[in-house]
Amino acid sequence: MRYSPNTRLRCLSLSFATVVLGLASASGGTVDFSKEILPILSENCFHCHGPDAKGRKGDLRLDTRAGALLKNKEGAAAIVPGNPGASTLIERICTTDKDDLMPPVKSNRKLSPKERDLLKVWIEQGATWGTHWAFVPLQKPPISESHSGNPIDIFVRERLAKEGLTPQPQAPRRTLLRRLTLDLTGLPPTAEEVANFDADTASDAIERTVDRLLASPRFGERMAWDWLDAARYADSNGYQGDNERTMWPWRDWVVNAFNRNLPYDQFTTWQIAGDLLPKASQEQVLATGFLRNHAINGEGGRIAEENRVDYAMDMAETTGTVWLGLTFLCCRCHDHKYDPLTQSDYYRFYGFFNQTPVNGGGGDPHTAPNLWLPQGDEKDRLEKTKDEIKKAEQAVGSAWKASVDKRVEWIEAGPEVDAKDGDAGKKATELAAALRVEEAKWNAAQRKVVQEAWATRDESFKKVYDVLEEKRKHFRGIESALTRVMVMGDMPKPRDTFVLNRGLYNEPGEKVLPGVPESLAGTTQGLPGNRLGLAKWLSAPENPLMARVTVNRFWQMLFGIGLVKTPEDFGVQAEMPVQKDVLDWLAAEFCANGWNVKALLKTIVTSETYLQSSHVPPGMAERDPENRLLARGPRFRMPAWMIRDQALASSGLMSGKIGGKPVRPYQPSGVWEEATFGNKKYVQDTGESLYRRSLYTFWRRIVGPTMFFDSGNRTNCSVKPLRTNTPLHALSTLNDTTFVEAGRVLAQYALQTAKPNPEDRLRSVYQRVLARPPSLDEVRLWSAGLERHLARFSADPAEAERLLAVGESQRDGALSVPEHAAYTAVCVSILNLDEALTKE
Amino acid sequence: MDPITEHHLGITRRTLLQSSAYGLGGAALSWMLNRDGLAAAPVDTKIGQTAGGLVNAGAQGLPGLPHFAPKAKRVIYLFQNGGPSHVELFDYKPKLQAMHGKPMPEEYMNGKRLSTMSAKASERLVLGNIEPFKQRGNSGAWVSDLMPYTAQIADDLCFVKSMQTDAVNHAPAISFLLSGAQLPGRPTIGSWLSYGLGSANQDLPSYVVMTSVSKGTSCGQIFYDFYWGSGFLPTRYQGVKFRGSSEPVLYLSNPDGVTRETRREMLDDIQAVNQLKMQQVGDPEIATRIAQYEMSYRMQASVPELTDLSDEPKHVLERYGPQVLEPGTFAHNCLMARRMVERGVSFVQLMHAGWDQHNSLTTELYTQCRDTDQPSAALIQDLKERGLLEDTLVIWGGEFGRTPFIQGDLANRARWGRDHHPYAFTVWMAGGGVKPGITYGESDDLAVNAVDSPVHVHDLQATIMHLLGVDHERLTYRFQGRQFRLTDVHGKVVSAILS
Repeated sequence: MRYSPNTRLRCLSLSFATVVLGLASASGGTVDFSKEILPILSENCFHCHGPDAKGRKGDLRLDTRAGALLKNKEGAAAIVPGNPGASTLIERICTTDKDDLMPPVKSNRKLSPKERDLLKVWIEQGATWGTHWAFVPLQKPPISESHSGNPIDIFVRERLAKEGLTPQPQAPRRTLLRRLTLDLTGLPPTAEEVANFDADTASDAIERTVDRLLASPRFGERMAWDWLDAARYADSNGYQGDNERTMWPWRDWVVNAFNRNLPYDQFTTWQIAGDLLPKASQEQVLATGFLRNHAINGEGGRIAEENRVDYAMDMAETTGTVWLGLTFLCCRCHDHKYDPLTQSDYYRFYGFFNQTPVNGGGGDPHTAPNLWLPQGDEKDRLEKTKDEIKKAEQAVGSAWKASVDKRVEWIEAGPEVDAKDGDAGKKATELAAALRVEEAKWNAAQRKVVQEAWATRDESFKKVYDVLEEKRKHFRGIESALTRVMVMGDMPKPRDTFVLNRGLYNEPGEKVLPGVPESLAGTTQGLPGNRLGLAKWLSAPENPLMARVTVNRFWQMLFGIGLVKTPEDFGVQAEMPVQKDVLDWLAAEFCANGWNVKALLKTIVTSETYLQSSHVPPGMAERDPENRLLARGPRFRMPAWMIRDQALASSGLMSGKIGGKPVRPYQPSGVWEEATFGNKKYVQDTGESLYRRSLYTFWRRIVGPTMFFDSGNRTNCSVKPLRTNTPLHALSTLNDTTFVEAGRVLAQYALQTAKPNPEDRLRSVYQRVLARPPSLDEVRLWSAGLERHLARFSADPAEAERLLAVGESQRDGALSVPEHAAYTAVCVSILNLDEALTKE
Repeated sequence: MDPITEHHLGITRRTLLQSSAYGLGGAALSWMLNRDGLAAAPVDTKIGQTAGGLVNAGAQGLPGLPHFAPKAKRVIYLFQNGGPSHVELFDYKPKLQAMHGKPMPEEYMNGKRLSTMSAKASERLVLGNIEPFKQRGNSGAWVSDLMPYTAQIADDLCFVKSMQTDAVNHAPAISFLLSGAQLPGRPTIGSWLSYGLGSANQDLPSYVVMTSVSKGTSCGQIFYDFYWGSGFLPTRYQGVKFRGSSEPVLYLSNPDGVTRETRREMLDDIQAVNQLKMQQVGDPEIATRIAQYEMSYRMQASVPELTDLSDEPKHVLERYGPQVLEPGTFAHNCLMARRMVERGVSFVQLMHAGWDQHNSLTTELYTQCRDTDQPSAALIQDLKERGLLEDTLVIWGGEFGRTPFIQGDLANRARWGRDHHPYAFTVWMAGGGVKPGITYGESDDLAVNAVDSPVHVHDLQATIMHLLGVDHERLTYRFQGRQFRLTDVHGKVVSAILS
């Protein structure tokens, strides 16, 4: 759930806002700088009086205490600690003179009376400074000894008690099983899993279920989707031409890394700098494909250097968002307006990524450096051909030696150089040049020229030479068809990095060396000045951001909204989280616990906070619409990909195949063609490929798969879910072939296996989609619906036939056509229930 | 839903929305409905009824918007993708003819950044316009013979001849014009306006995009979906692409075998079960789901009504030219644009590709003009006759102009071309709040640089927003910790062209 500024305003008028964002000092305590003052200064003052030196007005900076206390020529200071009356800041924010008022009327910013009072109180109390909460080193918040249990619950309950609220009881078991299974595998529980769970009455049933789900190979697939959105992963370049690329082995690596629980610091290091690790394994190099997932602009007329700079900037900014939660983008042109990031910081950070041999030209979807990855028998074929080449080379060597006498004559005579034009002329000149060189000193090209020429003279030599050439050609043929993944690799000689004025590739300024932002650097001693150093710095325990940002994203995945609701921004403009202790405790624990992702998730999903019922008690929808206080369990619409996977899995259509080349499932016809003037034709797959998990769907960057209506755009790094509801979404889950076919197959299963009455059949469908039996009311409703559908389809069996013909899979011809059609309509409806679309 | 079941449940949407019996107050519900653009519904409509405005795609804009009384209530942007040659069409420079074949004087081009396809400085030969210009109407605006229909409506148009942009390649330049940034990822104008102003329409999206290309066009400037993307704004503000096929909106049609009646019955059951859920769970999200599904049903009726041209009189169809009945053509899209604004769609973005004449000035440029000139003019006349032009803003133009010097061989007329040119180009505007029959701004005597009253892309954007009653500096959205806006930190309203 996200809300926009306007709804925020509306929300502020509700009691919720004052409760959640309530100001501690209103009750008379000490003002907390980081929580209460910094947000006011940042939002209202920093734009002109912040870190950006060039944009600074009136020589006044308010982002540092020294700056704020500095006296001007007249001896006045913006802030005089202990004396609000003498502080010009207070004077300027309270004046009735419109010309003097701060923030200026023109800025569209305005302080509320409460904010003004708070500033006064703070100055009165001595104007104590502090650090923005997210930049403060990680420390586990203390837990009083009287408490036991999951620290998440302790902190949440403490907060709820302050609000006079109590948590919800644990959700019904079936709901929990579905919640956990969807959250950790992206799939609904099977009927068998439901039955086993029902039978498991042991007190640790939930914990063991969590362990089972975390061990499932489906876990990695589930985790990969969000990572692909962040990594702007696509199966084509984007832009004109939109050539197909083969980055999917990287995608499979991500699935695998999550499945084997690669510690997050290594997960990080490999993707940022796997190639720079000592004796880097193929897998470590493959991981760096993360950075190369950016779009490539092959548009004719495009300036190569401009592209190249764009690509390196994209890598830098994506890294900044994903691992630091910092918004580097604005520093392309100037120092950050709010955060302690300078323009030089930006280009030093960019400098890490500015070292590949990529020159930015053209639209090659395999722009080197590449990792060549043989699939299937390709490796064997390559090896075999290599052996054959070796043999052929030996044969050529012997034949060459054997013909040495004949050749002396030929060389002494000087081969005729008669053809003067074109290729032949060029060859003749090259040959002449090569022959002037001693044989022992020939390079490969010279040897080739001479041997080729000699082959036209000497029949027996030609025989073996042709064999060698043919084998080499064969090898190149296999090689060129190999899957290539674009990966990172630095040039031996570093490329100079410059600050680019206004972010323009052709306006270099001051030269800088690669490095991390100075204000956040801490100790970087001993770290190499390359991506490996960057990766080590990111995952060092002293860096407070990586753990906080990562934990927040996982929390967001499970609860629908992060503890910090701006996962892309942990800078000064980011709110202090409502449940900051939860975030800090989890982050510190994550870091101390060897960056163990599965353990972190287990801690969260076994908390009572997570396991609460998502029932919304009267009044709470208004008081806390986004559930920031966590007085209830998470309940939100699932992402489109998960809704599709659920339909495939619950119907039994889903293929369990993991990894491999992307597939092309059902999609309305003509979508690619229309977007590309017919250049790209969507050729739908058949059979198993239609039913692979959504993760494996071919992602054409310029026109993404039509069924994933809320995914990231896969052009820019995206770390926040886009969860709005439009009628177009409803149309896709009601009308897409995948859903209609899933409904038909679900219906078929119920008709084949359940007792022949509506109640039992509905129970079968409900169990598979919602993991629960229908209520009496529901049975009554659907039974009435079934009768109406049945009447209609019986009256018009041709329509029924048409409905049952949707989708490729075979239908059981023994089933009654009108009845199967009627149940299909009901099953499609059930797949579209709010409960089916929602994780609750 | 059958009456008995309804009675059994005892719920109508009125009670659903007004009752707090489920622990759900009106404020929270209206907050959620607004967030998803499903609000502004008359609450007396019962679930299952099809009449009355239940929901719409973006009814409510932001509080306080428009900032001031708008001159235009809706926009039709006739985007000419590829960079139409200002030199050939509107920006008449006799000196080009006089200097035809001579080198472009260096002082005009000094150090300018061009696309890598442009010739070396020494080979930049001035190329005169290929067709004659004439002054048109009472206003005396110069329009080339290539545009005979546009020539006839010159007195309704405001030509801006001093446009300038920052980008020299298509995708970045189009993105810059439509979203204010060269790289993808920012909201486009239509998204900003939908977000800020909401929309007046009941059953259709507020921001619609249609694309076309002339048959036989050799260039392939692709329509990327970020040209109508919502960037960091919620996805419901992104443009909805109407396709040039039998199914204009993806997944609009019911599956085979599902009639409209069957669909209605399916929805009634879904909604009834959703209401049961609502009673148990008390989550207002369920009410938004109900509204969302109802609107999908209504859209299935309103879109076919929109695209059914059988009620258009013959003389109107003829006016738009011979391709008007062919879906996927610019003519068809122009007529659709009129029908859309009549039905309350707020921002219609037509994109026609093929203006990229690197080597086809004497061939494909004629096709481009043939396919776009007549429908564009027809649209203006049609809107005018219906009284819609006065509060509909129509904009015609591309992402940049073309070089006044040749690309190609002067001796080979059949392959004459011009390269991309960002330093001066022409757009025209008409209707809602723009002075008709004027020409604003000027390029130099060789059409190289905008010299008099340059209008930067951000200025054009600021002006469009102004005409819709929006202060471009005050329509912002917080993302990555800062307030973003369409015009970044730039943009001045071109007040001289406002009526």
